[in-house]
Amino acid sequence: MNIVEVRNAVKHFNRGRIRALNDVSLTVPRGSAFGLLGPNGAGKTTLVKMLLGILFPTSGSAKLFGQPISQPTVREKIGYLPENHRYPDFLKGNDVLDYYGRFSAVPKEVREKRAPELLKLVGMEKWGTTKIKKYSKGMMQRLGLAVALMNDPELLFLDEPTDGVDPIGRKEIRDLLQKFKAEGKTIFINSHLLSEVELVCDTVAIMNAGKIVVQGSIDQLTTSGHTYRVQTAEIKNEALADLQNWFSGVESVNGHLQVTVRDYAELNRFIDHLRQQQIELRAVLPHRRTLEESFFAAIQGAPSGDFNELKSFANKS
Amino acid sequence: MKFWAIISYTLRESLAKKTFMGFFVIITIVHLLFIFALNVDIVSGGQAALSLFGKEAPRAIDMEKLMFGFKQVMSALAVLMLTGGIFLAIFATGSLMPNMLEKGSVDLLLSRPMARWQLLLGRYLGAVGLVAINVAYMTAGVWLIISLKIGLWHWPFLASGLIIIVVFAILFAIMTFVGVTVRNSGVAMMAAWFVMFFSPLLFQRDKIYALLSKKIWQWLLDGIYYITPRTFELGNLTRSLVAGEPIIDWMPLVQSLLVGAGFLSAAIVVFEKKDF
Repeated sequence: MNIVEVRNAVKHFNRGRIRALNDVSLTVPRGSAFGLLGPNGAGKTTLVKMLLGILFPTSGSAKLFGQPISQPTVREKIGYLPENHRYPDFLKGNDVLDYYGRFSAVPKEVREKRAPELLKLVGMEKWGTTKIKKYSKGMMQRLGLAVALMNDPELLFLDEPTDGVDPIGRKEIRDLLQKFKAEGKTIFINSHLLSEVELVCDTVAIMNAGKIVVQGSIDQLTTSGHTYRVQTAEIKNEALADLQNWFSGVESVNGHLQVTVRDYAELNRFIDHLRQQQIELRAVLPHRRTLEESFFAAIQGAPSGDFNELKSFANKS
Repeated sequence: MKFWAIISYTLRESLAKKTFMGFFVIITIVHLLFIFALNVDIVSGGQAALSLFGKEAPRAIDMEKLMFGFKQVMSALAVLMLTGGIFLAIFATGSLMPNMLEKGSVDLLLSRPMARWQLLLGRYLGAVGLVAINVAYMTAGVWLIISLKIGLWHWPFLASGLIIIVVFAILFAIMTFVGVTVRNSGVAMMAAWFVMFFSPLLFQRDKIYALLSKKIWQWLLDGIYYITPRTFELGNLTRSLVAGEPIIDWMPLVQSLLVGAGFLSAAIVVFEKKDF
């Protein structure tokens, strides 16, 4: 079952001059860790805000837990960590958890039990009685994560969750997210930190200029068609030239061969040819791009019409 | 529970930002002034000598005239408290709505499982509650001090507190509408003061007609008069109420309440549809 469903969502700002979301459709299955990637101004935060009822779609529809997002009750089982959140600085850590728990209708006895547990979970157990104006950026982020978990959500929206957090803290947050995933929670991460998304998420969508450019599992996104790395014993230049005569997609990369073929039959013909030339074959591996390479490939192939305009609008607002 | 949480959060914010305390301290200073500066003696059942701020009244007066004078003083005091109280209340609450709507704060609230109207109304009632506590303290305090010193318990004076709260609730509805629309505390406060300042002029608009070049300006003044709260007339109503005079026309109160309800409804409609 899909926990998030977006159908042809369009969001225009500034009387249609800015197209922040441009016919976006996506689904997130229950229990998955979904990463929404894209450059600044791609429309990621707009999409998340739309799903949470903070702004409204110009057209299209969206559902959470199978219910329209216009119903406030759909947010009962949602936790949200926004980017650049601002909790009231006159409150202490415990008070923040208590108030936001009350706003989510968490009963008093549950709030009293969960608040210290959550502070401990995010490594802030000693800071509950300190006013949050004394917190660092990383501590605020940890507190934000604790607040997002206060109502024991089934679906977590995290917008740049490790923003401002040191490397050790990032690792701890990643471990927590892995734990939530193992518990069956659905995680929706909005980030431009590709390495982090790659470590946590199993499904990814890449957005650019308000559009979903590509969506799929990390495996699908990083597999680059019929390109293979072929490791052989040392190969002479004449032999390489001969191979390139027979197969146009062969090149030497960092001491191994890289070949792009049309299909498995051609791959097999290539291997047969190597064997006929008595070239010692050591390994044949499908070539994988890094997520970063896939990201750039997707972004560069996407239209960029509104991107700069959207960025300047975001800066102004 | 969520609704009450918003109200209590608003009161907590006001306490933390010292606006509540500032309001409270000023009222306490007023009380102390009344305790120490007001000197009143009732003499031999029929005559009185009265001194205010240490200055004695020139002659003894009979009881009937004294009572009339007393009621007039109390009603003038009520109008003074209305004006001063509203002025302070606007200061104390001007930033509450725009603060809530700031980026990073509003996202956290709107993503909770509560309807937007609940959030806005909770905030509105929190602000009105904050002012109501202070106004009750101000009115009851002044009334108690005067009553204890003079020995006359003039109960209608307490109604002035109720009117101050109602006038503030009406003006805060306008501030809420402006706050939601433009998200600026300065503009929201200016809107309330604008209404307070122009209300006496609008009340006497028939005297201004002669100065206007075209009929359309008269219609415009009439229009503004009917869509803004009649705070000046509410001041008069307060004066009459405290002086024990009969109230001939409740229309200023009814119309102002309707205008306040209209602005609050408009604020909710705007808030329900606004992107943040």
